Amino acid sequence: MNTVLSRANSLFAFSLSVMAALTFGCFITTAFKDRRVPVDIHVAKVMLKNVDDFTGPRERSDLGFITFDLSVDILFNTVFQTSNYYSPIFDWNVKQLFLYLSAEYATKSNALNQVVLWDKIVLRGENTKLNLRDMKSKYFFFDDGNGLRANKNITLTLSWNVVPNAGILPLVAGSGHVSLPFPESYETTKSY
Amino acid sequence: MLSIFKSIPTHMDYKGQKLAEQIFQGIILISAVIGFVYGLIIEQFGWTVYIVLGGFAVSCVLTLPPWPMFRRNPLSWQPALPETSSESIPKPQESKRKKNK
Repeated sequence: MNTVLSRANSLFAFSLSVMAALTFGCFITTAFKDRRVPVDIHVAKVMLKNVDDFTGPRERSDLGFITFDLSVDILFNTVFQTSNYYSPIFDWNVKQLFLYLSAEYATKSNALNQVVLWDKIVLRGENTKLNLRDMKSKYFFFDDGNGLRANKNITLTLSWNVVPNAGILPLVAGSGHVSLPFPESYETTKSY
Repeated sequence: MLSIFKSIPTHMDYKGQKLAEQIFQGIILISAVIGFVYGLIIEQFGWTVYIVLGGFAVSCVLTLPPWPMFRRNPLSWQPALPETSSESIPKPQESKRKKNK
């Protein structure tokens, strides 16, 4: 503490320790929050094709097309509703949300298949009220065989990762999913 | 080049050093509490960081330069003794110094 450098050193070290404590406080104030939100998924149209999958097995695989409606209000959580600019899900430990719609189903070869059909990044300050109509899936819904045809139970779930400033990366599954059967026959019309 | 910096007196006396440490710890802790509460209310951790950085800057200005308030209690050194040839003198001198502290 006798020279400028030693004072600067202890000042800097102390500030860093305080900052680390604050970051931990930020984590601990949000760690036990329940972030589940009701989700409403509705599937408008299902189409099934049998096409060559050049990336997977050297056979024709099942390719599903799903048109869905999705409505979810992620600002459902009300813990500290003092800010007008950001909805409460964007508490001070949330940078962004990564939402994705995934399909889960069982086939003969695998007990659990998970395919991500669609995703969306919601940044701070963006609208967290999603109301989407007639959405087409962003990614191909390929099965690694022929497990989609006549599959009775294909479950669509919306989940999201909460990207935090500090701490764990919670994976939240929206409460509310839809299960649907897939058609028995392939679509044969070649319309590109 | 370095000798120029070394020639600038930056020292504080002991009480000044204690005061400087108390000042920067107090300022940073207070700004941390304010920043924590403010960030929690407006739900933005960035503002917490900014407020702590502000406290850091203020305490840098207050405690890094050796302001006169940190030099109010200079140590009273014994006056330099003239060089003597006898060896018995240093011992009583040391005990005297301890008493003064």
